[in-house]
Amino acid sequence: MIVCEGLTKLFGSVTAIQDFSLEIPDGCIFGLLGPNGAGKTTTMRMLSCLIAPSSGMAHIDSYDIRKKEDAQKIRGMIGLLPEVPGLYETLGAYKNLDYYGQLYGVPKQQRQEAIQKTLSNLELWDRRSEPVGGFSKGMKQKIAIARALIHDPKYIFLDEPTASLDPVAAKIVREYILELKRKGNTILINTHNLSEAERICDTVAVVKNRMVKIGNPKQLAKGLFTRTVTITLQSIPPKVLQEIESFALVSDVQVKENQLIVHVRNPKEDNPQILSWLLQQGAKVQFIQEEEHSLEDVYLKLIEEAGQ
Amino acid sequence: MRWRNAWIVMRKDLDEFKKQKFVIGSIIAMPILLGVVLPLATFVPLVTMAPLDQQWDIDGLLEIGSLPDDTAAPWTNQTRTDTSYEAMVFRHTFFKNASLTNCIIESCILENTTILDSTVQNSSLVDSVLLNVTVIRSEGTGLDGKFILAVSSDLAFTRTKPSEIDQVLPMMFNMILMIFIIIPATLPTIIATYSIVGEKNNRSLEPLLATPTTDGELLAGKIFSAFLPSMGATLLAFTLGVVLLDIVLIPKIGYPPLPNLTWILSMVLLAPTACLMSVLACVLVSSKVSDVRAAQQLGGFVVMPVVILMIGVLAGFIFLSPIMIFVFAGLYGGLDLGLFLFVKAIFNREAILTKWS
Repeated sequence: MIVCEGLTKLFGSVTAIQDFSLEIPDGCIFGLLGPNGAGKTTTMRMLSCLIAPSSGMAHIDSYDIRKKEDAQKIRGMIGLLPEVPGLYETLGAYKNLDYYGQLYGVPKQQRQEAIQKTLSNLELWDRRSEPVGGFSKGMKQKIAIARALIHDPKYIFLDEPTASLDPVAAKIVREYILELKRKGNTILINTHNLSEAERICDTVAVVKNRMVKIGNPKQLAKGLFTRTVTITLQSIPPKVLQEIESFALVSDVQVKENQLIVHVRNPKEDNPQILSWLLQQGAKVQFIQEEEHSLEDVYLKLIEEAGQ
Repeated sequence: MRWRNAWIVMRKDLDEFKKQKFVIGSIIAMPILLGVVLPLATFVPLVTMAPLDQQWDIDGLLEIGSLPDDTAAPWTNQTRTDTSYEAMVFRHTFFKNASLTNCIIESCILENTTILDSTVQNSSLVDSVLLNVTVIRSEGTGLDGKFILAVSSDLAFTRTKPSEIDQVLPMMFNMILMIFIIIPATLPTIIATYSIVGEKNNRSLEPLLATPTTDGELLAGKIFSAFLPSMGATLLAFTLGVVLLDIVLIPKIGYPPLPNLTWILSMVLLAPTACLMSVLACVLVSSKVSDVRAAQQLGGFVVMPVVILMIGVLAGFIFLSPIMIFVFAGLYGGLDLGLFLFVKAIFNREAILTKWS
């Protein structure tokens, strides 16, 4: 389990992240969402013991990120994928992975088997000695992900894992992340890809130099927006247009051709009453549907509010 | 400190180094030029053009030399002392404290006499100086044999004073030796300045720092990966230089002058400590700047302690004797230790990751 309490990092007079608290339970995929410079990478680096917090604390399992003697153990438990793959471009894929396997203390045979399996899965085994500098961005990213996992870490920190991948490769990576979760790994992801976060993250935190909001992607939308219902009529009777604004159960009415877009507080209870009122007014209802807010809507609204 | 991790870092760096053909080329070319070509270019003209002491195989030359008519032992019927003679012919004369120039001397005894541009035949020489003298079928002891062309036997040359070459050689060897100290101090600027800042520019430093490797292990690996190629190239040039210089000098001075004790001690003690000092200073610079070019520019200053030594040698203030080698190696070794502790103390992962972007 990862626990942060009041984690703060200042670079001189600049606040990268302030008073950041959260709990990431084991076996969970946790997404950090936020614009550039919001403090996501700084948070990930603090949790990886690469930089020290200015104040606050964080524990990974029972280890304290502030203690020098714990830092080495924490690093050994984490597999980090930074924003840029950072491979040794003149070396082959095998040597890149083998180097990190050795540094993480993976026994030789286990290392060799893991590398062979990984490179075979990536269809790179035959090209294992070619300098990785000649590989595509996506291929490098896959090797970098393999590098982060070479020592079978319990915690996996991924900074924009699918940023440079094509849709097919991104899907493979997403599926792999879900498989890691099923295996019991705890995964922390920094991402700008909101649909990706929505699909794979159990919990997301929107950050903008502080914690803006945390929760399940769907719960966040529900808590943030009133429910929007679109009612499509055969035609809109003039009486409806005149009186709907004063109808107590709806607000922010918009009329778009033969559609009424209304905001309601409690669709389950309010929708039947709205429908019967419309029918009383002589309206012929064709469709009624609730509009779902995407994580992107949630994100943009939260970031806008945080900016204000 | 887990040395295994330092070893892993070093091996990876050497693997990368092996792929850099131009870097390898410059690492080898510089020592060859300075340590082999330059000394040879200095010594070859010296030994081929300058008049040097020569001791010929006199027995071998007897066959081609003409044997004198009078082969009896020298005897004398007159004595000449404390006198100078020029362009004369002497027979059966005893010379003591004399000076003979352009003379033909047959069947004489010469003691403590200086003989210039002359021919000596069937004579006996004791404690004399012979310059450009052809000696035929004679005997002698205690001779200073500069410029002697001897066609004779039983001449025992005793150097009564150092010859010119004997006086010049140690000075020249000292200067050449300085090249072999400068080389290992200079080469790391090519490799070591890249060590940290290169990883940063390559964006490979963050995943590396995220491993359980400690600062000391990482730095030790980086230091050795710059030290080994630098010292390897230096030793290659040293071996080649010594062998070729011996080949050039043996025919002229009769023995292989190199490597002498000073040179061996220099290679074992002084060159490695100077190299290590340079590596450490370069790694220090590399961990503090954000650009490889800046690191290489600043790295140029790290040879200053060695340059100071070189100026001392060239100016004649310092003569690299074995004792001086121990003194400087101890000094450099102390500086190395201090520098390592300093580099380790100021190596700041956070600053490297966050202030270089």
